[in-house]
Amino acid sequence: MTRMQDPGPAAKVAALVSLGVLGALVFAGPVLAQDGTPNVTAGLLEASLVGLGYYLSNSPWLIGIGGFFGLYRPLVAGLLVGIIFGDPVKGAEIGAAINLLYIGFISAGGSIPADPSVAGWVGTALALAGGLDAAAGIALGVAVGLLGTIIFFTRMSVDAVFAHWADARAEQGDISGVARMNWLPPQIFLFIISFFPATVAVYAGAPVVQDWITWLNTNAPWVLKGFEIAGGLLPAIGIALNMRFIFRGTVIPYFFIGYYVSVLSGGGVNIVAIAIIGLALAALHVTFLGARDMGPKGAEA
Amino acid sequence: MTEMTQDPGSGMGTGMGTDTGGGMGEGPKVSLTRGDVQRAFWLWTFFSHANYNYERLQGTAFAQAMAPIIRKLYKTPEDIKAALKRHLVFFNTEPNVGGIIHGAVIAMEEQRANGADIDDDAINSVKSGLMGPLAGIGDSISQGTITPILLTLGIGIAAGDATISGDGNPLGAVIYFVLEVAIMVALAYFFWMQGYDRGRVGVIEMLRSGTLDRFLTGAGVLGNMVMGALTFQFVHVYLTWHFGISAGGGNVTDFDLNRDLLNAMVPGLLPLGLVLLCWWLIARRRMSPLWLLAILVVVAMVGAYPIFTDQPFGCESILNAFFQPAYGADGALGCVPAPAT
Repeated sequence: MTRMQDPGPAAKVAALVSLGVLGALVFAGPVLAQDGTPNVTAGLLEASLVGLGYYLSNSPWLIGIGGFFGLYRPLVAGLLVGIIFGDPVKGAEIGAAINLLYIGFISAGGSIPADPSVAGWVGTALALAGGLDAAAGIALGVAVGLLGTIIFFTRMSVDAVFAHWADARAEQGDISGVARMNWLPPQIFLFIISFFPATVAVYAGAPVVQDWITWLNTNAPWVLKGFEIAGGLLPAIGIALNMRFIFRGTVIPYFFIGYYVSVLSGGGVNIVAIAIIGLALAALHVTFLGARDMGPKGAEA
Repeated sequence: MTEMTQDPGSGMGTGMGTDTGGGMGEGPKVSLTRGDVQRAFWLWTFFSHANYNYERLQGTAFAQAMAPIIRKLYKTPEDIKAALKRHLVFFNTEPNVGGIIHGAVIAMEEQRANGADIDDDAINSVKSGLMGPLAGIGDSISQGTITPILLTLGIGIAAGDATISGDGNPLGAVIYFVLEVAIMVALAYFFWMQGYDRGRVGVIEMLRSGTLDRFLTGAGVLGNMVMGALTFQFVHVYLTWHFGISAGGGNVTDFDLNRDLLNAMVPGLLPLGLVLLCWWLIARRRMSPLWLLAILVVVAMVGAYPIFTDQPFGCESILNAFFQPAYGADGALGCVPAPAT
């Protein structure tokens, strides 16, 4: 987590575009509404459970690690959203598909390219409500995920205030006060800026997404087909982002071994079997070649 | 780094007998129990990012983790005030592996409270000197290798066949969550305690020893293997450009550019090529992933747009079925002109 960086023009443009698109959806949705039967209905209870899950994923309450390394990941979020909406299998499938894009996700120095958590929680809920399949759900998750960066940057900026409140308590030698400033006010603030937007997004967004999917199905089915095609292409970005870390030095050939073992096994790739082969090769590599050319270079690129 | 006369690594946690003080000698010796160090560990593990902000990053979280240590070691208001301010400064590292810094700092504070000659600069230089390198090493280990490998396992199990709905196994998500949390907590505890037991000098020795390099190399082998498998399972480039070739007598033979030419020469060329292209653009050409994302979405949409309105559904987009998913159960015969009936 060493790099400090500006989100850059691409992130700003992307956030604005998704904000614009989703905003237009909200206003145009009712106009386009047709009577179709929604697959899943999002009541206030379901929506607020999703909002609560999104808050918890950013919070310290699950040993810290269970948040950022657990609920924050769309794979886990998808399963839980699926349970909330009564379809855990489909929820986990959609969450897993969305997570493909964030498999190389690195939060470094307080800069994130997107918010996997909101993509997982809100994205899965909207995809379930809209009756989208996993591949098409990826595109929806990405759009929502870009919006999540707004919440993240707000939090990172405002939380600096609480550091100064802690300074004041340090001046009085108040140990408990300093410790409290690290969690109580920031978590109240985080709850407000994460729980309510996510809840509203699911509660108000689900019917809109349903209307849109229904409208697109009758009037422009090629857009949904485009979603599906994008769902086949976008995982390449997630994999490439992770390869920045591991695709170098003497271990590069193993990527091709992994790929072609899968090609030879045809459609039935068993990821656990590949991982076991990988562990065996890792033991051989380290034993006979040592750690050449693969030093810890950190969060570069 | 400031020159330090004291090695905080030696004789930590042992008791009252040794007098390291030799100067101040005010009052009885204070020593931390294992429980104090563990309490600080849990405070950090829970709250390291509770107040993450642009000005101090994990600064206030460091102070919260030190609260039980400060309470135990320092009794006068001046000492407490100074210690709190010392640990409220800017701090940022990888929270799990980076805990080795906290361990070493706790050891230094314990010696300082017992009169050792360790000033603010010595403690600050350990924090600011080690947090950068450990952020790099830690991110490589936790976010760069362990998490993606376990995610790949979980996704592979939970998603099932990407093109079939309802055949996934939600246990994949449970397996990921349990393994990830267990491994990360164990890792964090290990590094925290190593830092406290070894002290500053021991930590630097450990980082130079090459053990971490070997671990990262092995994880790199495994990571590359599963990324390769993931590419095959989930990256789909639907370049199904069909030609209808007349076979005489009114029969039409289907020729699929991808199946009959590219895959016949190099199997699985397109998904592999796409991933390597994305890697090259992001890692070597420094292209923003967001631009790449926009480009791929535009390509998908253009590929799906129906230009050939006289063709049947699924065959009317650009260049016959350029980038279209294959149709039919056997994945063949995308857009060969339908036989005249």
